[in-house]
Amino acid sequence: MVNGKFNSDVVIGLEIHFQPNLKSKLFCSCATKAETKKNENSKDEPNTRTCVICLGMPGSKPMLNKKALDYGLKLGLALNCSIALELIFSRKSYFYPDLAKNYQISQFELPLGKNGEIVLSSGKKIGIERIHLEEDPASLVHPNTIHDSAYTLIDYNRSGICLIELVTKPEMRSPEEAREFLKKLRTILQYLEIFDEQTGVIKADANISIKESGYVRSEVKNITGFKEIERALLYEVERQKQAMQNNEKLVMDTRGWNALTGKTTRLRTKETEADYGYIIDPDLVPIDITQEMIEKTKRGLPELPDEKIKRFITKHKLSPIDAQVLAMERVLAELFEKVAEEIDPILAAQWLRHELVKVANYHKLALDQLRIEELEIVELLSMVEKKEISDRTAQQILSLLTEKGFSPRQYVKEHKLTIVSDTKELEELCKKAIAESQPAIDDYKAGKEIALNNVVGKVMKYTKGTADAAKVKDMLKKMLR
Amino acid sequence: MNINTTQQQLEKINEEYHYFNKLCNVQTKKTGKLKDYVISVKDALCVKDVETKGGSAILEGYKPLFNATVIEKLLAEGATIIGKTSQDAFGFGTFSTNVGNNMQIPLNPFDKNHSTGGSSGGAAGFTQLAKKKGIKHIALGESTGGSIAAPASFCGVYGLTPTYSLVSRYGLLDYANSLDKIGPIAASVKELAMCLSIIAGHDEKDATSSKTSIPDYEKGLSKPIKGMKIAVIKECFGKGIDPAIKQNILETIETLKKQGATIEEISLPTTTEYALEAYYILAMCEASTNLAKYCGIRYGRHEKLEGNFNQYFSKVRSHGFNKEEKRRILLGTFARMSGYRDAYYIKAAKVRTLIIQEYKKAFEKYDILISPTMPMVAPTFDEIKRLTPLQHYMVDLMTVGPSLAGLPHISCPTGFKDNMPIGTMFIADHFQEEKLLQIASSIEELNHG
Repeated sequence: MVNGKFNSDVVIGLEIHFQPNLKSKLFCSCATKAETKKNENSKDEPNTRTCVICLGMPGSKPMLNKKALDYGLKLGLALNCSIALELIFSRKSYFYPDLAKNYQISQFELPLGKNGEIVLSSGKKIGIERIHLEEDPASLVHPNTIHDSAYTLIDYNRSGICLIELVTKPEMRSPEEAREFLKKLRTILQYLEIFDEQTGVIKADANISIKESGYVRSEVKNITGFKEIERALLYEVERQKQAMQNNEKLVMDTRGWNALTGKTTRLRTKETEADYGYIIDPDLVPIDITQEMIEKTKRGLPELPDEKIKRFITKHKLSPIDAQVLAMERVLAELFEKVAEEIDPILAAQWLRHELVKVANYHKLALDQLRIEELEIVELLSMVEKKEISDRTAQQILSLLTEKGFSPRQYVKEHKLTIVSDTKELEELCKKAIAESQPAIDDYKAGKEIALNNVVGKVMKYTKGTADAAKVKDMLKKMLR
Repeated sequence: MNINTTQQQLEKINEEYHYFNKLCNVQTKKTGKLKDYVISVKDALCVKDVETKGGSAILEGYKPLFNATVIEKLLAEGATIIGKTSQDAFGFGTFSTNVGNNMQIPLNPFDKNHSTGGSSGGAAGFTQLAKKKGIKHIALGESTGGSIAAPASFCGVYGLTPTYSLVSRYGLLDYANSLDKIGPIAASVKELAMCLSIIAGHDEKDATSSKTSIPDYEKGLSKPIKGMKIAVIKECFGKGIDPAIKQNILETIETLKKQGATIEEISLPTTTEYALEAYYILAMCEASTNLAKYCGIRYGRHEKLEGNFNQYFSKVRSHGFNKEEKRRILLGTFARMSGYRDAYYIKAAKVRTLIIQEYKKAFEKYDILISPTMPMVAPTFDEIKRLTPLQHYMVDLMTVGPSLAGLPHISCPTGFKDNMPIGTMFIADHFQEEKLLQIASSIEELNHG
């Protein structure tokens, strides 16, 4: 920003809400998830996980779930925020049918954390304005669509669930930067273990403006999921640019994202900011956040992605790109560290970031859904390292390993997959192949180099792929000279 | 006491004096300190399955699913809960004349043309009448800015407002959460002490509830007050005070002197000047958020579902709230809106801190502060009608100071003017209820009511 004016083509700011993986709600002991009984699909009957507190019954009083504070502190410290000295909650007043008390308990005056940052791979810092805790409202349920339903039902199961809100400074300059920011955030949440990606919901409101319009911003509300956020941003930037090209005038508005059509649509134009009439919630006494609590939380933080990347480069001599790819997935990073203790780190890095990821993609599973036993991986890769098995054999075994457990060494032995390194034996097999490939040999001798691959393939077939293909080729060349 | 006789007796009393919004008969056991007592409960306190509406039409038909913590504690001591006493809607008033739409105003037990005071009007009125009729009774009242002391004074009974946080607020319909206190109203100091011993103490359901240890309040009652350092708040005897009340309090002071207390004068300029304004701003800001939940969707009053939800909310709230409820919602909402927030809400919070400091300084030197409870005896309903809203709020001048500072205070009957009772108020430092009960006990013989 120069003189309070932005000077880039695109300006993006995000307000991100996610539901931390707490067992109970923010101000009462109601469960955050339906209880799953064995042999039964979890069925969440409406309004069953409620009590007088999360329904805001007259006379009931909120009691803080202390674990929510722990989680908030963890995230605040991981993002280098300055932490407030007191935990204070405010009442944010607005009338809406999904809000049990017609005010939401949130933070205003003194957010738990402020002025943090996330550093992108380019070294650019995206500022975090604030991080705070708040309660979720209930959900409105319409029997049909919102427009043609005769009535609206309210399900209070969600009412009072803790949300962590994170507001960035408007410092992202493209949807791609926003994507990298979100990816980094996702990794940090993985490392801190405060968000369950399988069941938790992440939502964002995005503020987007472009230079051509003089930075008239649109706010796209309630985009759900990391991928959708990027899609919505890409669409919205393009929409604004198109509008300017068509000489349309942009006005401040609030928009909705439709994931099915892939478009944003205007909900309302925005003339004024909403006035929530915040007051300190007098039912919740301020809780001192002591230096001791902060230090303790800091000590409990895991090594975070940025530090890991640095350490992977210095300690294990990985290339920056290998280090980054591994560190950005907690499962990969942790596996790598264990495996790298036993075998060559560079070999380990290659196998994990390429081959293991390939296997996961093939099975259409997230890395943490794969069955991975580090000892089995170490056993497998040590055979690769010692050239006891071929890469192809190792790839096949790796794929099987992620489905069921077994000893790779045993498997190689049983299936006789050890590389055929006995030259005598190979020579015999090469002779056999030559004898059976007369047309190909003729072609080769006539100058068609490629025809030799056919013969190599035969030898590989005899050895069930365990031979070193390059070695076989050399051998064949020598024999045919 | 035969409970059936009592029920009939209560209905008869209620027809005449309008002390109850709802009669009931709740008892869980017949042993304990309160086994011989009937207890009336201000309508602002939740009693399970008994219609509880905080004196407001907006909560008509609402039956709580749970008991307030204080109710649980009283029931555990064998109390019989006999009903919900009438009050200004949500506590918004000093005369119990701001009752909810379609409700009846309680009448003073000494003269039906006079107010009982408020907002715990039904509670204090019935306490005096029960005493006259020989019914063993204690009332649970609630005070935000003086709603225990004021009616106790107007009805000639004892009212104790404990230190903020000493008694759990769980199950209390909120007026202004940072100011609300539950306390007993009774015909004797001993009964106040007994009730406080039962209801005081930490509650894990109320985050603001104190963890201080609870003494046996009854034990200290007979302790002599010799050597106690008492200060009279100078500003409370200036313009606007009824001379008869001034005279009565001077007599009370003489009695205390005779018992060996030292009496001096003290000035509390900040409190006198700013407490009223700060109190009303904070109370209304909080109240306006508390009353937002009453919109006809979840609790109490419902109407035919028509229009969009904003239209529906507006309709329910227009019909359900009375004039004073609407006034406080509007003022409170205004005072916390951005642009006004700093000038009103934030400023009032700062003033509150200064006032607490002023009191704390006074208590470095003195054990007790004295003032009249109210600047007048119970006015007639005609007199009240002539008051502007501002004059109405001015009546709370004596009680809002200690209320704002969360200080315990007690109103004691100390005499009469034209057959209407006069109350003297004692204020102590935080958690010094023992001293209040001790001094109240020492002048108990002055009460000729």
